[in-house]
Amino acid sequence: MTTVAPRAIPGTVTSFQVASADLEEVAKDLAEMRLADMFASTPADGDQATTTLRLVWANDTAGQAGYVVTETPIENGEYPALSDIAPAAFVEECEIYEQFGIRPATGKPLNRMMLPPHADLPTLGRKPRTEPEEIRAAHSVGGHAFEFPFGPVRQVGVESLYYGLVTSGEEVVDVYLFTWHKHRGLEWRLRGKTPEQALFFAERAEGLSAVGVGWALAAAAEAAAGPQVPEKAQRTRAVALELERLYNHAAAMAALCQSTGLSVGQSAAEIALERFLRLNARAFGHRYLFGVIAAGGASRAPDADAIREDLPGAYGEFRRAADALLATNSFVDRLEATGILSIDQARSLGLVGPVARAAGLTADTRQVLGGPYGTTAIVAEGTRGDALARFTVMLAEAAESVRLIGHFLDAGTSAETARLPRASGSGLGWAESPRGEALAWVALDDDGRITRARLRPASARNWRGFDDACRSQNVFTDIPIIEASFWLTAAGMAR
Amino acid sequence: MTEPVTTEEKQLRDTIARQFGRSLHIRTLDTGSCAVCEQEIRLLAAPHYDLHRLGFFFTPAPRHADLLLVTGPMIRAFEVAARKTYDAMPGPKVVVATGACALGGVYPQDPFTYGTVDAVLPVDVWIPGCPPSPLALLHGLGVAVGRLAEKVREVSFTVDDDSERSVSSP
Amino acid sequence: MTLWFLRGLRRGVVTTRYPARPDASARNLPTPPAFRPRALTRQTADQLTSICPSGALSRDGDVLRYDVGRCTACGRCAAQAPHAVATSGAWELAARDRSVLIKTIPIRGGA
Repeated sequence: MTTVAPRAIPGTVTSFQVASADLEEVAKDLAEMRLADMFASTPADGDQATTTLRLVWANDTAGQAGYVVTETPIENGEYPALSDIAPAAFVEECEIYEQFGIRPATGKPLNRMMLPPHADLPTLGRKPRTEPEEIRAAHSVGGHAFEFPFGPVRQVGVESLYYGLVTSGEEVVDVYLFTWHKHRGLEWRLRGKTPEQALFFAERAEGLSAVGVGWALAAAAEAAAGPQVPEKAQRTRAVALELERLYNHAAAMAALCQSTGLSVGQSAAEIALERFLRLNARAFGHRYLFGVIAAGGASRAPDADAIREDLPGAYGEFRRAADALLATNSFVDRLEATGILSIDQARSLGLVGPVARAAGLTADTRQVLGGPYGTTAIVAEGTRGDALARFTVMLAEAAESVRLIGHFLDAGTSAETARLPRASGSGLGWAESPRGEALAWVALDDDGRITRARLRPASARNWRGFDDACRSQNVFTDIPIIEASFWLTAAGMAR
Repeated sequence: MTEPVTTEEKQLRDTIARQFGRSLHIRTLDTGSCAVCEQEIRLLAAPHYDLHRLGFFFTPAPRHADLLLVTGPMIRAFEVAARKTYDAMPGPKVVVATGACALGGVYPQDPFTYGTVDAVLPVDVWIPGCPPSPLALLHGLGVAVGRLAEKVREVSFTVDDDSERSVSSP
Repeated sequence: MTLWFLRGLRRGVVTTRYPARPDASARNLPTPPAFRPRALTRQTADQLTSICPSGALSRDGDVLRYDVGRCTACGRCAAQAPHAVATSGAWELAARDRSVLIKTIPIRGGA
C-alpha cells in the first residue's frame, strides 16, 4: 500500500493498490492527470461485502501518454468524495451507488443515473439501501424558470432520449438527460462470457462506435490474458477505426445541416456518408464495420484495392460538402459561438474526443505508444470551444484519417488473431473512437471468462459536457445544433 | 392490423393498402437500439434512397402517422413510452419491427428487456438484419403496404450439394 | 444558393432505382448464412448452436432450427464450420408472418 502515486509511464498502464484511508491524498496527487473513469467490482466468488474501487487516470501529454489505475478495497460502504477533487467523477459516483451501494463519505445527494425508477433490476454488487435522488443534485428551479421534460420519444429517426429542460422561455437555464430507458445491462450481461463472445455485445453497446468500443474491449482482454496482437492485425484494426471516424464525421455534418435547416447541405453530407458506408461494406463486409475486431486481432482483412479505389471519391464528396458549408454564412453563423465549452470546463469534466479538442485540450489516445499509430502527433486542436470549432476539428481529423488509412494499407494489413490463453488476469484497453477515448477494463477467471467487464464508450463521458454547453446564452433552437456538434449516442451512455 | 375475417373487412384492408401504398406516413420508435438501425432509417430520406419518391414520408407526430417503424429489443423501462406512442396513432395503423434486436435476437428475454417488440406491440411486418440496410428497409416498407412481394418464404437457406446452387433471392 | 444549385446539377442523380430495378450495391451487403444439409452433422449443429451469440440456431433431433429473424450475419457459424455454412445472398427478408422466418434445415451428415 502506498501514498505516493507513481507517474504514468508512457505507453503503459501502471496499476497499484491504495488503502482506503490514503485514497484522498493519492487522488489529490494524481489530480493533475485526467480522471478517465471510475468503477467498482466485487470478487468473483460473490462476497458482496468487499467492493473494490478503481480509478483510471490518464496522462494526455503528447509523447508521454499513459494510464495509472488505482485499486482500493472499500470498507464501510464509503469512500472519499472524489468529485470534490475531480468534478468529472460525480456521474460515476452516482452510477457506482446504484450498482454497488457504496457512496462518497460527504453524504451529499446522488442522482438517479443509469437505472430506471421503480424497477428491480439485477445489479453488479449489493443494491443501495436508499433510492438515489430523482433530480440532478446541483439543479434548482427558481425565479421565472420552469421545467419541462422532453422525450424519450423525440423527432423521427433519432434515438430515444429524455431531456429535462429548465427554461425561462427561450433561454436554456439548465438541461439534464436521462438514458435509463436504453439501459440494456451490458456489464451485467458480459459476466461469464469469453472475450470473443463479449465482443458481439461490446460492438453493439454503441453501434456507431463498434470498432472503437470493440477494440477497447479486445485490448483489455489482451492486456489481461497476455498475447500481443500481430502488427498487421493492429493495422487492420486501425484502418477500420479510421473508416469509422470518417463515416461518423460525415454523419455529424449531415446532422449539423439538419439542425440548422440546411437541407441541401444535409443531402450533400448524406451522399458522402452513404459513399463511406458502401466503402465499408466493400472493404470489410459490413456497412458499420461490425465483426472486424476479434479477441487477439482482426477477423477480416480489408480489401485494400477497394479502399484505394473508392476512398478518394467518397472523401472528395465529403470535402466539397464541407467547403461549401464553410462558405455558407447562414450555416456558419448558426454554429459560431453556439454551445461554448471553455477549456477549464472541458478539463474539469474530463471530456474526450473532438469535443475536448475543440475546447483546446490535447487528449487523443492514438498518441499512446505501443499501438499501430506510432509516434505521429495526430491531434487536431481548436480553441473556441463552440460548435464551429467542433466541426472544424472533425474536418481536420477526417483529412488525417484518409492519410492514415493510406499509410496503414501501404504498411500491410491482415486478418490474424493471436490466441488468448485461458488464464486469469485483468487489464485496461482503449481506442480513440470517433467520439473520443473508449475505455474498457476486464477481469478474467482461470477459464478465461469475464468476471467483471467495464465498458466506457466516449458518450458515457461526454454527455456531461452537453449540459454545460447548452446552458446560458443558448436558446431552444440551438440545442439540436449543439447535440449534432457533440455527435454522441444515448446507447453509449446507457449501455 | 389483424387478419381480416369478413369480406367487408378484407375490402377495407385492400382499400387501406391502396391508400397507404401511395402515401404513407412513418413514425419511428427506438426501444433500446445501438443507434445503427436509426442511422440506416435516417438514410431512407437521403439522396441515395429518397423514400419520398415512393410516397413515403416521415412524421414526428404519432397522430399523423400510419406506420410505426420500431427498433430495439423493447427494454422494459421503455414500455410505457412505447405503448403511449402506439396508442396515440389513430387506426388503421401498421407496426413494422426492424432489426435483429426487435425480432428477438441479440438480447434474450431477461430482467432488462422483453427481447422482442411483439411482447408489447402487435407487429405486422418483420424486417431482419443487423442493421437492415436502407434497401432492406425499402423492401420491408413495400411489403407492409402491399406494394412488394415477400421473398423470404421461398428461400430455403440450404445449399444443394449436388449442383452447388445457392438458393437465394436475386 | 447558386453555389449549391450548380453543384447539385453537376453532381447528377444518385438515387437508386430500387425497387423498380435491382441495385448493384446490394452485392456487398452481409447476408444470413445458408447451410449444407449433407455437411451438417448433429455434432456440428450443436457447435453452431452454442457459438451463435444471438440465439438463432437450435437443434431438434435431426433438424437445425434456424431463426433468420434473430440472425445478425455476424459470421461466427461460418467461421466455425466453413464446410457446412455458406452465404445465402438473401437480403430482402421482410415477412408478415414471424414463423416464415424460422427455417428448418435437415441434418443429413450423421452424428
